[in-house]
Amino acid sequence: MAKQQAKAQDNTTRWIVIAMVLLVVVTGVVFSLMSQNNKENASLAALDGTKLKPAITSTIDPANGSAIVLNPGSTKVIDVWEDPQCPVCKNFENANGDYIESLVRDKKATVRFHVLSFLGDESVRAANASFCAADEGQYLDFHHALYAVQSPLENSGFWSNQKLIDIATKIGIKSSKFTDCVNKGSKIDVVKANYDSMAKYGVQGTPTVFINGKLWERKSPDFNLAEFKAAVEAA
Amino acid sequence: MKNFNARFQPIITLLARLVLGGVLLVAGGLKLNKPTDSANAVAAYKILPANLAHLVGYALPWLEVAIALLLIIGILVRPAALVGGLIMLVFTAAIASVWARGLLIDCGCFGGGGEIDPSLAAQVHRTYFIEILRDLGLALAALYLYLFPYGKLSYEKAAVEE
Repeated sequence: MAKQQAKAQDNTTRWIVIAMVLLVVVTGVVFSLMSQNNKENASLAALDGTKLKPAITSTIDPANGSAIVLNPGSTKVIDVWEDPQCPVCKNFENANGDYIESLVRDKKATVRFHVLSFLGDESVRAANASFCAADEGQYLDFHHALYAVQSPLENSGFWSNQKLIDIATKIGIKSSKFTDCVNKGSKIDVVKANYDSMAKYGVQGTPTVFINGKLWERKSPDFNLAEFKAAVEAA
Repeated sequence: MKNFNARFQPIITLLARLVLGGVLLVAGGLKLNKPTDSANAVAAYKILPANLAHLVGYALPWLEVAIALLLIIGILVRPAALVGGLIMLVFTAAIASVWARGLLIDCGCFGGGGEIDPSLAAQVHRTYFIEILRDLGLALAALYLYLFPYGKLSYEKAAVEE
């Protein structure tokens, strides 16, 4: 009798402990999910007060991996291969993005942006939206905005088409043509062409940069403007 | 051998609990405050769809710490060892799968994770091998605990009538 009672008690304790472990794990998951979500939505605040810069006409060059070409015809050509979700590309953009933009605006160099999408569905959506923005003449603005709000978690669900439109709206791209282009995935063929051209140019990861067709390799542990600028000017 | 085990079993059980529990505690503890890294690390194995991989990444550190505490304190050692051993086998299979598919990643076992530059391939393959050996070793410790859950310094004691 006493033995049976002890056994029943033992079983109860076992289930209580198992339930507690499950509770801890579930709480951890829910907490992580919520904090990730909050952080991503809060990141849009980084775009507050952004003003849309004057449009720059761009072309798509099928002869060069269907890249977005800005300021064609310069003797200096810079190829930038990036995936919108790649965290190291964000570092590159933070260090050198403004400088590259100035090269385009001051007509110092031709810059070809190869927008890749090998990091998953959200890269595909973001790349599609990038080409839509290029049609509006606002590729650089959108590119800058994407990296400003990039989630540290890849394919988290953050970059839905709607969120990409919200991001564009926030920086001043408001045309219904853009919205349509994002929602319909109108640029999927160009997105694919960019991705498919990686092998031809021997690009294995991002960011990869060529200056006048020559692979640029950084020497310093992090990207820094002085190093990149020197490499561009020397070319 | 049988005599040896009969004599030292309570101490071996204690050691197995501390080793398996200790590794899980460190592994889980290092990842607890970096859930995003953990979620990315699981996704980098490219076995599960992204959103499921993220959930596993969020859950794993907590599960590891919970199992570790049960093992170290000595509560429900048999079920805890069963779960601990199973996750070690899952880790082993996951690393083997990544290796077979030619992916180069940091396992993210103790935090970190993600893809690794192709130039480090040889080193990564060596690391995979060591990780598989380590996880299989820990699975053996778990098996021992499943067979002999009662040992020294344990909250839970063997039932007297056995």
